[in-house]
Amino acid sequence: MSTLSKYYKQSATYKILKAISAEAYDFLDTLGEIAKNGFITLGYLLTGQVSIKELIEQCSRFGVSSLPITLSIVGMTSIIVASQVASEMVKQGGGNFVGMMMTVLIVREVGAIMSGFAIISMIGSSLASELATMRVTEQIDALKVLKVDPIRYLFVPRVLSGILMMPVVVIIASIVGVLTGAVTTAMTTDLGYRAYFDSAWLGLYMKDLSVSLIKSLFFGGTIALISCACGYTASGGAKGVGLATTKAVVWSFVAIVIWDMIFAIAFFF
Amino acid sequence: MSIEVKNLVKTFGDKRVIDDVSFKVEDGETLAIVGFSGSGKSTILKLICGLIEKDSGDIITSEGDIAMVFQYSALFDSLNVADNITFALTERKDLRKKYTQEELNSIVTKKLELVGLQGIEKKFPSELSGGMQKRVSFARAIVTEPKTILYDEPTAGLDPISSTLIEDYIVRLKEETHAASIVVTHQMSTITRTANKLIMLYDGRIVFAGTPKEMLRQDNEYTKQFVTASLEGPMRMIA
Repeated sequence: MSTLSKYYKQSATYKILKAISAEAYDFLDTLGEIAKNGFITLGYLLTGQVSIKELIEQCSRFGVSSLPITLSIVGMTSIIVASQVASEMVKQGGGNFVGMMMTVLIVREVGAIMSGFAIISMIGSSLASELATMRVTEQIDALKVLKVDPIRYLFVPRVLSGILMMPVVVIIASIVGVLTGAVTTAMTTDLGYRAYFDSAWLGLYMKDLSVSLIKSLFFGGTIALISCACGYTASGGAKGVGLATTKAVVWSFVAIVIWDMIFAIAFFF
Repeated sequence: MSIEVKNLVKTFGDKRVIDDVSFKVEDGETLAIVGFSGSGKSTILKLICGLIEKDSGDIITSEGDIAMVFQYSALFDSLNVADNITFALTERKDLRKKYTQEELNSIVTKKLELVGLQGIEKKFPSELSGGMQKRVSFARAIVTEPKTILYDEPTAGLDPISSTLIEDYIVRLKEETHAASIVVTHQMSTITRTANKLIMLYDGRIVFAGTPKEMLRQDNEYTKQFVTASLEGPMRMIA
């Protein structure tokens, strides 16, 4: 039996199962940490225990610092879509609907999801690496020794700034996306700005705007929470910081796509 | 009695890193904890200040705050020196809004003077040398008038002159605060200049307890090996 066990432990099956179980454990552990810290953060938010100074700093980081990259990504996505679709639609006689199509696409989907991706890569990764560095350099231990709850001091202003600033970023990005679509359409087809914006208004529904804004609240809060949780639970040295940052980016990407799918099914299915 | 540790046990996985450790430190005393890397010295400090949970045993401390000076200072990178020092006073639930900005400024000036630093209130930790960072972390640690101060390798990574300066400030802080202090260190000079008594750990257990003078007499085979930095003796480095 002992020899059998020894051979089994050297087998590829054992190693694969061990690797899968380690991944599954890590997945559940991360999920648990995110949920636990999320509930504690929510408790602080509901009782209004927020450091205003820290909140303002984080809002500036989330909303202002991220704008150039977010607007660039949404603007370029709009150029890519408009340059390929507008001329085809005009050729097929659908020129009057180009503005509407672009508006629906950007307001419902591109503005929020592409802003989310930009925020993850710029702010999410930075939040995760910041907290992970604080963890490995004992700054989080120092907070605890000084009797300051790290969740209140680190998570609450970051998550709240994500919730508050993401809709602002998405609104600005969506406006830039629609405008970039207009310029691209005017440059690649004979369709004028007037025709584009006349149909753009037709594609602008209150429901789309509301869903987009609510969705962006969830995106912002989720990105900040996951990034903080991944950074907060980092261990080891530089490698640990790198792993935490990667984990935060991957988890945030997956999480906002899941949120997007839930919103699409709930409101547009 | 300021700190009393009784039969403390802590296990990580299968490894018992602290194995039935007991000691007492009175107010105004400094205990040095010495031993090889990985012998459990820093773990004891983390257990005392509650950063990790003990498996069994008792840790009894006087009422009041416990301060800790971390090995690499652990100053908050995003805050300047003044904000680092007053952090507990502005962010702690029971202390925030208790002090006016003028009072906070005055506290910063006094604490910086105590550690021999002036005019660096607006500087960030990255603009300071290792020794200065350490002294700022001393100032941050004593801002709440703690009854217990824990030092985790306070002279690690410092040149001999900066180390001497840090040792002087450890003695000075003890005299100013009359707190019970524990210093985890490898440095003989830190032991002899700051501590009234010491314990030596090996494999999580106390293998010597006495005064620095008794340690230097090398009557014990463990202290003899440590003092002479010999590879021959009962202690084996775990690779």
